[in-house]
Amino acid sequence: MSPEVAAYIPWVSGLSAVICGLFCLYPQYAKFAAGVCASAVGVGFVIAMGVWFSVPAEGFVNPEPLMRWIEVGRLEANYGVYLDGLTMIMLSVVTGIGMLVVIYAAGYMRGDPGYARFFAAVSIFIFAMTTVVMADNLVLLFLGWEGVGLASYLLIGHEYHRQAAVNAAKKAFIVNRIGDFGVLLGMFCIFDVFGTVRFEGFLPAASELLTGGNGSGLTGEAAVAFAQATEVLKQGGGWLLMAAPFGLMVGAFGKSAQLPLFVWLPDAMEGPTPVSALIHAATMVTSGVYVIARTMPLFELSPYALPTVAVIAGATAILGACIALAQYDLKRVFAYSTVSQLGYMFMGVAALSSTAGVFHLVSHAFFKALLFLTAGSVMHALAGQLDIRKISGLRHKMPVTFVLMGIGCAALAGLPVLTAGFWSKDLVLATTFDRAIATEGGTAFIYLMVGIVGVVTAFVTGYYCFRVWFRVFFGEERYEMGDHHHGGDDGHGDDHGEHGHAHEPHEMDWGMNGPLVVLAIGSVFAGLLLGPTHVVEHLIDKTSAEANALRVGDDATKYEKWVHNLMYAVSAVVAFASLALAFVLHGPWRKVEGDDPVRLKAPRVFGALNSKLWIDEVYAALIVYPVRVMGSVFYVVDAVIVDTVVRGIGVVPRLLGEGARPAQSGRLHGYGLGMALGVAAVVAVTFYAMNRGG
Amino acid sequence: MQDTMINSLTFSHYFFTGAVLFVLGMIGFITRRNMIVMFLCTEMMFQGVVVTLAAAAALHGNITGQTFIIFVLTIAAAEAALALGLVILLFRRRQTLDAGAWSELSG
Amino acid sequence: MDTSFLILVLLTLPVVWAAGLLLPIPGLQRKRYAWAYSAVTSAISLTLAVIVAMNFDWSRPGDMQLSGSIDWIPSMGLSFRYGVDAISLWLILLTAVIMPVVVLSSLIEVNHDMRQFHFWLHILEAALIGTFVAQDIVLFYVCFEFTLIPLYFLIGVFGHKEKLKAARVYFLYAFTGSMLTFAGVLYVGYVGWQQTGMWTFAIADLYDIGRRMSMTEQCLVFAAMLAGFGVKTPLVPFHTWLPLAHTEAPTAGSVDLAGLVLKLGPYGLIRLAIPMLPDAALAFAPWVCVVAVIGIVYAALICRAQKDAKRLVAYSSVSHMGFVALGLFVFDPDGIAATGAVFYMLAHGLATGGLFLCIGMLYDRFHTREFGRVGGTAKFMPVWSFFFMLFVLASVGLPGLNGFPGEFLTLIGAFDSGLWWSKPMAVAGALGVILAAVYLLYMAGRMVWGTPIIPPDHAGYLEGAEHGVDPNHRHDLSWREVTTLVPVAGLCLLLGLLPMPVLRTLEAPVQGLNKPVMGLVEAEEQAAGLAGGDAGTAADAGVVMQDDRSQATGLNGVGVAGPGERSQAIPLRVVVADGVGGEGVDGDE
Repeated sequence: MSPEVAAYIPWVSGLSAVICGLFCLYPQYAKFAAGVCASAVGVGFVIAMGVWFSVPAEGFVNPEPLMRWIEVGRLEANYGVYLDGLTMIMLSVVTGIGMLVVIYAAGYMRGDPGYARFFAAVSIFIFAMTTVVMADNLVLLFLGWEGVGLASYLLIGHEYHRQAAVNAAKKAFIVNRIGDFGVLLGMFCIFDVFGTVRFEGFLPAASELLTGGNGSGLTGEAAVAFAQATEVLKQGGGWLLMAAPFGLMVGAFGKSAQLPLFVWLPDAMEGPTPVSALIHAATMVTSGVYVIARTMPLFELSPYALPTVAVIAGATAILGACIALAQYDLKRVFAYSTVSQLGYMFMGVAALSSTAGVFHLVSHAFFKALLFLTAGSVMHALAGQLDIRKISGLRHKMPVTFVLMGIGCAALAGLPVLTAGFWSKDLVLATTFDRAIATEGGTAFIYLMVGIVGVVTAFVTGYYCFRVWFRVFFGEERYEMGDHHHGGDDGHGDDHGEHGHAHEPHEMDWGMNGPLVVLAIGSVFAGLLLGPTHVVEHLIDKTSAEANALRVGDDATKYEKWVHNLMYAVSAVVAFASLALAFVLHGPWRKVEGDDPVRLKAPRVFGALNSKLWIDEVYAALIVYPVRVMGSVFYVVDAVIVDTVVRGIGVVPRLLGEGARPAQSGRLHGYGLGMALGVAAVVAVTFYAMNRGG
Repeated sequence: MQDTMINSLTFSHYFFTGAVLFVLGMIGFITRRNMIVMFLCTEMMFQGVVVTLAAAAALHGNITGQTFIIFVLTIAAAEAALALGLVILLFRRRQTLDAGAWSELSG
Repeated sequence: MDTSFLILVLLTLPVVWAAGLLLPIPGLQRKRYAWAYSAVTSAISLTLAVIVAMNFDWSRPGDMQLSGSIDWIPSMGLSFRYGVDAISLWLILLTAVIMPVVVLSSLIEVNHDMRQFHFWLHILEAALIGTFVAQDIVLFYVCFEFTLIPLYFLIGVFGHKEKLKAARVYFLYAFTGSMLTFAGVLYVGYVGWQQTGMWTFAIADLYDIGRRMSMTEQCLVFAAMLAGFGVKTPLVPFHTWLPLAHTEAPTAGSVDLAGLVLKLGPYGLIRLAIPMLPDAALAFAPWVCVVAVIGIVYAALICRAQKDAKRLVAYSSVSHMGFVALGLFVFDPDGIAATGAVFYMLAHGLATGGLFLCIGMLYDRFHTREFGRVGGTAKFMPVWSFFFMLFVLASVGLPGLNGFPGEFLTLIGAFDSGLWWSKPMAVAGALGVILAAVYLLYMAGRMVWGTPIIPPDHAGYLEGAEHGVDPNHRHDLSWREVTTLVPVAGLCLLLGLLPMPVLRTLEAPVQGLNKPVMGLVEAEEQAAGLAGGDAGTAADAGVVMQDDRSQATGLNGVGVAGPGERSQAIPLRVVVADGVGGEGVDGDE
């Protein structure tokens, strides 16, 4: 399949969004929405697979854009696609996992009054997400970037009658907007330096700057961009080049829920569970990682950019994991786990290894989607019950879900050899330590610390995920039904009778479990396939990022064998240790039923983690309230002072009028006299002027 | 004799006549209180202006002034119709033609 | 064939046709007939506008076309000169598209003097079109001022509670400002008379005269023009008339005001002030930009404190028009910002117009637009909510909808400008992007999402006569209302996804009008030694050296006729990435 076809992938989903949107108007067709959406995503997946073979092993293809979007002056941003190994991996993940989740959701969302609306929003999401990963310029990427934000907004707020969902949706959008502000500024800097926002132009140029070349090897757009960049640097524009990655970084941290912008992701769990799986675990939140991997040469140009990413990533990883171990809400555990795992991905890219970051992205997409969807199954079976204190011993009622979630947890914890998480997490940690060895001084220290934090996080990760698994599926069989009918329409509770909610927890049908099995297989074999065989490495190596790292002559990517072997051992030990700890504290014979032993031992710490270190409150005090107060104050200022001052000017004519009032006596003769005097005055002045002039 | 009279008429005579007509009209307008008389006085002022315009047109040798006269006369006629109508209306209201009886425009 | 008469037809026919509304035809007394008659009128003018657009040669968007002149008072140099370039034409099309929509929308709200109401609407349209086609500055001024009269009546007669105050304040502000503008314009004419002994008020001639004036004169005249155009735009702190006028105006008045009348300010700036007084424009630029950026942030913060949806949208207009002012005055080398600003004028007209229409429809039903009195509409008015959200997102500046290209181009152009102060402006302006999301989503959260709230005294409205797209949602939009909103929403989407036809045609005229200032900017840069000595390097790197771009694009229309003495010294300039794979960009030379 020729690469041009790839440009149609988003638009197929766009069409699906329109069709599903029309189904909203005609409820009798709403049941077809899932089919339309799934086929659109499926078509996208098939095209992606077909196009893969025409993407060269080295370099990229950038066919003529499908349509023009914005072209003004030098600025050129069209609907073009940029296809290389990185794009193809991301594209496969998005469409592949997207398709599985849509199939699952077709069953999960049944009976929801907003069925068609849900799939319309999912279609918008796929449209935007495929745009993000395929865009050949930053502006088009930004279109997708904001588009996924919109889809996320709509889907988090899917159950719009619940205030919590509405607030969470708004929060997600606004926090993401703060990140987008950063992306905008980064884009401005890049445009200012390189005179182009097209990857084809500024990425090779940035690599050339990195290697200190004279640009002789560049052709076309890249040469022009390089020339302009040289010019700008000579004129003292270097700070722009340094600032650009920081702008993009803010955007990436916003979208990928890193410190300090991660607050929206846990709240985003208000959305339906398939949404949490697809958008807030597998795909959208990883787009920050993608952006950094894509623009790696820029990050390498600035000496502080990647270490900053590493520090933030390490801090987020450990913090997210710690908060996760103190949550009772099933989905929130996985949400914080996502925050933490995204930290790993950023660690990977920060260690100059897009391979590690993207590999972990792929395996995480599989096992985290799996975990969320199994959590969704539990929630579905228990009428919305998510509190793990109220669920116990479900393994007989839901045997398939029990096994599937177990596989997911094993992958998340990185149990050795079989699971994908083991291979990808190892690669991340090993490359981080590699980087510490390859660099010197402060940077080396930073990477060393981040690596150690990563190992600790791995332990915490194993503990919190098995904690959930043991609590939900082992021990005495005991459960309380939730009060919340998912997607519930207030007056339509009885619609759910067909699922038998009110009676017994039950296993899902195979229409919903089928996709989960595929994900479980992926969670296991993706690691074996991609890890030891270095498939991802071969793909990503050829993208601009890694290739440039090699060109710099940096040792970081030539992995030291011994570091890797050591990591394998350490990881295996850590994973089993965490499993053991979870087993002791939360295993089938756990002492404390319903509460957490950690909370009893250290209530303060647990409480602090449980209320996520009051970061939301800090935000409220520092940003939300000031904005609101300033708004009110300015409004008063506007209404009173400005208005008074400006209308004060209006008083002047009135005063003048008061002065002239007596002249208007109302008597005709007075007017006549005035007129005559006026004429006389005009005549007199004219005479005077003429005589003087003459 | 008559010829000499006419030949000895200069443009200044015409201008003078115009000015006299205008000033007489103006004095009448200011001093009289009867609205019909006042109205007649304004007509007289018009005629003063018209004479001046005609003289100036002849002096400059173009017809702009005469064109203007046509306009003025037309407007004067229209205005006469309107003004007399107004005067009659006012008379009906107050049974007097005294201009001083009307001072509602007092500011 | 000389097609210039089309403009005259466009200008006069709708007025004549609309005058029929005032005739004592018995049927027109009835509300619906008057409404239908008015709809036909606006359809006629839309058709005419489309015909004009079809007769426009889009391959030369920067040239004045379909131009003509009718003598008015030749001895004073006054004549009825008209013509359109792409900027004018797009604004005319916007006017012609918004008008039918506005007419369609105002069936319920206006409940007295329907004929008078629609008559004023069409007079307003004619005045707007007159302003956009005017090529004589007095004609421009007359039309510009004339928009006041219909709006005065639309607000003062058909408005809400405080309509008289609103109409008066609006009139006072606008009139005071534009009196100063007129004085400035007359002064330029007077200078021309002194220099040549001839009176002329043709805009093209005044460009030359203005550029020859001394710096002091230019600054004075510029300040005078800024007074009039700045009030209309509006620039902080002369914006306080706007929220008042919007809140009190009927829906149609608000849509016209936000969508069209506000555009007169920036249009006057880019058509008259900037090309005519380049030195002053450059001198004033940082201050105008500071004011614009303050406006963006200040008005956005005020929005967050609003309880009345309409007032919120009104303040958001102030914030958004700040982007336009910013874009017009940053003078980046490619004219990206100014092109974006002009595009944003169109986009803002549609998005904000759409919001006002939606809020008007809500008001028709519940006679309130306050948060907390009505809300959760997604439940009982899904179609309305869909349109409302679309316009909210367009206003937020979501890419893919029409707000984004304008906002983005404005900001990136501001950042790219060579003027030293422009980068902080761009950053501060970009803050407005965050704030827009904050206040607009706050509004969406209160109005659209959440538990349904209906004012108790309007529960009986369910029996309303003409509603019912879906029998389950009896509050929801009628077909008339859907028909009203669909064109606006469609254009929002179209301009967002495919803005190229507009952008491409705006670029040339905008660059043409900015050319004198650009000459000054570059001269300044060269004087500062920024560009000095680098030409050789650039050439080595294989960059095309080319004369000024706008010359290369073949601009010779009225917009750039006769550059003044100062602006002739346009230096050589590095042109980068002008057309990918264009002439000689191969690096291996």
